Amino acid sequence: MSGPGRSARLVELVGSTRLGEVFRRKVRQRRWGVTLVTLCVAAIGLWLFSDISGSTGWSPIKVLELVVFSVLFTTLAFGFTQAFVGFLVLAEGHEPLKITNTLDENTPLASTAVVMPIFNEDVATVFGNIRTLYRSLQKRGELETFEFYILSDSTQPEKLVEEELAWADLCRQTNGFGRIHYRRRKVPVNRKSGNIADFCRRWGHRHRYMVVLDADSIMTGESVASLVRLMEVNPRAGIIQTMPKLVGSETIFGRIQQFASRLYSPLFAAGLNYWQQGAGNYWGHNAILRMSPFLTSCSLPILPGPEPLGGKILSHDFVEAALMRDAGWEVWFAYDLEGSYEGLPPNLTEYIKRDRRWAQGNLQHVWFLLADRVQPISRLHLIQGILAYSSAPILVLFICLAGIQAALDHFRGHTSSIPIPSAIVLALLTLLLLFGPKLLSVLHLFAQPDLLRRFGGAKRAIAGVAMETFFSVLTAPLLVWFHTRFVLRNLAGQKVVWNTQTREGGSGPRWIEALREYWPVPVAGVIFGILAWWISPMYLLWITPLLLGLWLAIPIAQISGRSGVLRRLFQTPEEIEPPRELSKAEPFQLRAGDQFVHAILDPFYNAIHVALQRRRAAHAPERNEHLEDLANKLFEGGPAALTAEEKRALLSDGPTLTKLHILVWRTPAEKMNPFWAEALRAYRNEQPVTP
Amino acid sequence: MAISPEYLGLLRASINSSPEWKQAWERTNDYLDALRIPADLERELLLLSSFERAIARKRKEPSTPATELAFDEAQKALDATLADLISEKVPADRRSVEERVRVYLMQPTQNSVLSPGNRLSNDVLAALRDVRLEAVPRLQQAAITPRPFALNSAGERLASLAGKFSLLGSNRILAWIVGLCLVGLLIYMSL
Repeated sequence: MSGPGRSARLVELVGSTRLGEVFRRKVRQRRWGVTLVTLCVAAIGLWLFSDISGSTGWSPIKVLELVVFSVLFTTLAFGFTQAFVGFLVLAEGHEPLKITNTLDENTPLASTAVVMPIFNEDVATVFGNIRTLYRSLQKRGELETFEFYILSDSTQPEKLVEEELAWADLCRQTNGFGRIHYRRRKVPVNRKSGNIADFCRRWGHRHRYMVVLDADSIMTGESVASLVRLMEVNPRAGIIQTMPKLVGSETIFGRIQQFASRLYSPLFAAGLNYWQQGAGNYWGHNAILRMSPFLTSCSLPILPGPEPLGGKILSHDFVEAALMRDAGWEVWFAYDLEGSYEGLPPNLTEYIKRDRRWAQGNLQHVWFLLADRVQPISRLHLIQGILAYSSAPILVLFICLAGIQAALDHFRGHTSSIPIPSAIVLALLTLLLLFGPKLLSVLHLFAQPDLLRRFGGAKRAIAGVAMETFFSVLTAPLLVWFHTRFVLRNLAGQKVVWNTQTREGGSGPRWIEALREYWPVPVAGVIFGILAWWISPMYLLWITPLLLGLWLAIPIAQISGRSGVLRRLFQTPEEIEPPRELSKAEPFQLRAGDQFVHAILDPFYNAIHVALQRRRAAHAPERNEHLEDLANKLFEGGPAALTAEEKRALLSDGPTLTKLHILVWRTPAEKMNPFWAEALRAYRNEQPVTP
Repeated sequence: MAISPEYLGLLRASINSSPEWKQAWERTNDYLDALRIPADLERELLLLSSFERAIARKRKEPSTPATELAFDEAQKALDATLADLISEKVPADRRSVEERVRVYLMQPTQNSVLSPGNRLSNDVLAALRDVRLEAVPRLQQAAITPRPFALNSAGERLASLAGKFSLLGSNRILAWIVGLCLVGLLIYMSL
């Protein structure tokens, strides 16, 4: 017996109150178990390290080194423990305590908003992904209770026009008028969290649930409907997060990440759910939220002090989960719910750019560690998020301290006499913690022949793991370098600009760009190498794996963005046998070229854009005059004559745009800027749309 | 529309013989292409009747470019043909926009927009007249108030300590000096 039937039977046997107690006791046991294993492993490491370090006597540097080591090693031990527990859970084959056990396909659905906040994103991807979900729900006959909201914060004039026509096209294709909505904010206050908050203020009472998607999220109708059903049968659940699989990458960097995530994350996910249970976390997308507690309890506070560490919260998801938990609601992780996917940055540079924003966002969470009313497990999630970035400068500090100590020993003529057995055991233990989860993942994969086949077979899977490990050894120092810079800059009070991500691949950054962006890294690597050699050749040998990534930073960054490299490796089940929804994710067709020009010339772009403008009240004469000047400037000088701000001003005025549209079309070629005459030719022989 | 084929032939010949009218013909045709109106007899008739009126106007307004006259006349012809699809309440300066929205919406149906009365049912016509493009639903507002942020006592102490060291963050040289002093002290203590 499984699922709700099993739960009902258990309630029958022991009573619901008793069941709650049993559940709580079980969860407590699990948490204690994970804590003890983590602490034991960390204690062994610490003991070995102090044995090695103390063998030549103690000094303040060594004490500090030991403190830093304990932070790093405990983090590592916790990650390993989680993966190990996850391995056991998956090997056992049945996890009695997971939210998906309560899924009942017969549960009626409830009113749900599917929201996708966007900011100057690739329009075809955004609307294509929404269309995939829409059609998937439509095919299941479960569309009735869903409404879709594309919440645009876009600021580029071209994007605004393109998004509007894409919305109209999507509605026309799917007959989705009245069900697929498009809202644009003129001022993107508080970025993504402000965008969601604005949605909640406007339509918060219209829906019981909200499924939040990122611009590159794809979810199947089945997974979204399942999330709603899980919410319905778990009335204490405030958020249910899914485990999105990475898909759609074409570049070598993206495909390696995709492969690694697909192979290793199931263990971590199962392990995470094992101990966190209803005290889970929220990752900001591919999740469902209960509207009413979200409205009453999850509005983000303003942090003390100025940005970047204070002020408005940049990374909202962990905080919202903590606030939801504080309000008494559960946050669950539906780690085994299929049909949740997302894209990823195509190359190392874009990945690092994203990390820069995330680093600042996560560092702000330090305040919540010091705040009232934050649950202990929520604090742990916040610490994990902070350590994801701040462990890099901690590692650098550790290496520097070791370097200083080695230099002191060298100049004082102390010969190294470390206890070799302890050093070997510590090295092996560290390797086990670092690579053990990968090994366990491979074991788990080999226990499932069908899944192994969908990873391309045993040889390719093994070769993929080896290459991925080599690649991660090379890229890890680069990430340490950049994370350290980001953290230190944030601590020094420097802000991070909210940049758009390039989610598409391509031929990768040009060599000259890679050189311009990464040149300090190999230079620093060479200087560190010389310093290390000067201190002691042994010290250089010890840090060579770290320096290797720094020396090769430029070629790694360039190669990371290349498509078509090692296509036969790093295959994933989603690549070999794409689910129906992914294989049908045909590109969303839009008119190529300058979208602002289309807003003037294309009769449909122009009409849709103008029709969506609010009917304006009479402008002040000066404003009308300004708009007329802009229109004349555009007509006489072409689009290059206007700034982005001026284009936005024109786009905000329907009547002026209508006049411009007619003016360009009715003016003979010789009486207007040659740009317009040329642009008009693009419309010759346009074919009617077929249904 | 009862126009003889001979007359139409003559009209086309005269349009093609003048570069100015030829350009006007191309431009108007391009616009109908942009509206994705199929090249059928109805379109041809709309164009020729528009040009007939434009040529007549040209005699009275010789300084007005032929392209402008032809486009205006074609627009008027479209207004007249699509009048059935648009509510009478729509103001004159908005009609062209509303017409194009309806042509856009009718695209996948493959009904000829130039003769909607002949091909569309009364229900569809009524629905088209009522169309108002709305990208968002009616508001159902909710209030969300940010929770005040309260530090615990340890947090208060740390915040005040951080405030005292904020000068280090804003002055890079000072931060380096203090950092190096700390490292120096650490080394000195470890000697």
